[in-house]
Amino acid sequence: MLEMIDICKVYRTDLVQTHALRDFSLSVQEGEFVTITGPSGCGKTTFLNIAGLLETYTSGSYQLDGVEVSQLNDFKRARLRNEKIGFIFQSFNLMPDLNLFDNVDVPLRYRGLKASERKPLIEKALESVGLAGRMKHLPSQLSGGQQQRVAIARALVGSPRFLLADEPTGNLDSNTARGVMELLQEINELGTTIVMVTHDQELARESRRNIHILDGQIHEENGRGEMSSSASAVA
Amino acid sequence: MEIGPIFRALLRNKLGALLIALQIAFTMTVIINAVFIINERNRLMARPSGLDESNLFHITVIGFGDDYNEEIVAADDLAMLRQTPGIVDATVINAIPVSGGGSSTGVRLINDETSPSTGTAIYRLDEHGLNTLNLDLIAGENFTATDMRLRYESGPTEADKAVVTRALVESLFDGMAPADVLGEVMYMPGGDVVQIVGVVDRLQAPWPTSQLVERSMLVPENYIDSFSRYMIRTEPGQRDRMMAEVERMLVERGQDRVVRDMEAMEVTRANTYRVDSALTTILRVVVATLIVINCMGIVGLAVFSINRRKKQIGTRRALGATRPEILRYFLLENLFITIAGVALGAVLTIALSIVLTTNFNMPTMAWYYTPLGALLLILVGQLSALGPSARAAGTEPAIATRSV
Ligand SMILES: Nc1ncnc2c1ncn2[C@@H]1O[C@H](COP(=O)(O)OP(=O)(O)O)[C@@H](O)[C@H]1O
Ligand SMILES: [Mg+2]
Repeated sequence: MLEMIDICKVYRTDLVQTHALRDFSLSVQEGEFVTITGPSGCGKTTFLNIAGLLETYTSGSYQLDGVEVSQLNDFKRARLRNEKIGFIFQSFNLMPDLNLFDNVDVPLRYRGLKASERKPLIEKALESVGLAGRMKHLPSQLSGGQQQRVAIARALVGSPRFLLADEPTGNLDSNTARGVMELLQEINELGTTIVMVTHDQELARESRRNIHILDGQIHEENGRGEMSSSASAVA
Repeated sequence: MEIGPIFRALLRNKLGALLIALQIAFTMTVIINAVFIINERNRLMARPSGLDESNLFHITVIGFGDDYNEEIVAADDLAMLRQTPGIVDATVINAIPVSGGGSSTGVRLINDETSPSTGTAIYRLDEHGLNTLNLDLIAGENFTATDMRLRYESGPTEADKAVVTRALVESLFDGMAPADVLGEVMYMPGGDVVQIVGVVDRLQAPWPTSQLVERSMLVPENYIDSFSRYMIRTEPGQRDRMMAEVERMLVERGQDRVVRDMEAMEVTRANTYRVDSALTTILRVVVATLIVINCMGIVGLAVFSINRRKKQIGTRRALGATRPEILRYFLLENLFITIAGVALGAVLTIALSIVLTTNFNMPTMAWYYTPLGALLLILVGQLSALGPSARAAGTEPAIATRSV
């Protein structure tokens, strides 16, 4: 699904060069739920942006779903994002001027579907996050947890194979965070691959695979899922 | 297309959009009416006077002293002028066409002072008048020297023949051809009879913006009052040289008179239309300024609203919007604002046009001014929004995760 080999990302400004990722290699299989942890500034968002085709990388190789993405132009990258990737952001990134229906509609608009095709998809997505009754509300009329659910509905509405979340619970209290986490787990169980950056050690521990980044490199990997599957294979 | 969401999002941020729409409406109202006024003035200014203006000039001679005999002086002056190489012809004339000053009268076809008369400019000149002014005689004939009448303050003798313009024929004789009115008589105020001997194609009244326009009559008369005005036509290209020479010759001919007010017809025209040209220049500046301000307003609003939504744009890009799709979003947004402004502007434009027509004696604006103006403003709006929208389209998708 996702195959990064020796990815380096260097940010150059007039004064400094920041090596945000260094020889970063990671392979994520279809259906996995991977959490990424690490101190602030270690390169988590950089990794996620490269994985989600929001940014290019300086060197290395990255294949998404078997496609080498470094060769793609801006237009193709946008199309690929739209078709294959769903994004969830820390601060939700909903359009404040659009109601929930129109918000969830945004990625579908870029897919060239007819209104009659989009409507059932939007309704289903909002239903799956428990907000079907609020389609005409504005984001500002919802709580933080509800807003993040709308964002999840927006990420899911186009049925992407791959969900990328950058601290999706970072702006939520722990109870709400738990609800969002459970929702993501359900989504993962239905087959969507998820990579989630989080600060929350507790949430990270629940995932089947946790990657800890330090200073732009993978420092430690806990593959609970891997271990249990190899254990069952042994058994 | 995302017409629905763009429109609904716009409604939630009305204020800026509303101000710009109002600005567009105001700009449209003023510029369309201003352009109409400019075109109308230009049309009036461009109407031909019927004269060979570029080769004509006029000069005035005023005699003083008891011995001054205008009758003799004028005859000598004109004979000399007509013999001078470089001069085609010369005539006495009471009023200068296009100059803004002259005489008018009212003529009738029946001798009844109580019936309505037709207003016309009246030019008093001699048998060389038609040739000097280079008028186009389309029917009948010119006066002869024997038709000439000299009028003294004590006992006026009116000429009994006239050459009239086609426009005067059309006002007096409904539907008759110029050749058919030859020999007809007109009654002057007081009952004097004047017979039409010729018709010229065109000669503007001295007041080109008056109701008379091209209603003029020419009569073979000269007032003997110590005041003579000569109109002189030169060979093409000789005017400036002849002006200097004629002034010198007339001055040299005697001490009992002053020679003054020499002016080329082109200068006379420029003076008459000075206010109109100034008006059109001012209106052009107003139109240009308003368009520039309008553009700046549109650019300002676009830049402001795009900067405010940087993160939204990044998010759209992250969710799969291509650069052309972002560009299209903001151009459409501008289009909606402009269309709202233009719709209101169309109403205001027509309202102002009606006010101008009814209160300031302006002709009615042609129907196509408003739609053409609307189209222009939409085009200007799109062009103004193009720069900011292109910048918005260049927004990096990484903004979605980077800025808080
Ligand atoms: N656009 C940028 N320009 C320069 N440096 C950047 C840019 N984005 C991130 N960085 C730097 O790269 C490093 C990794 O950043 P980031 O991936 O955002 O960390 P994290 O998400 O783990 O907090 C940091 O040192 C950060 O300052
Ligand atoms: Mg981060």
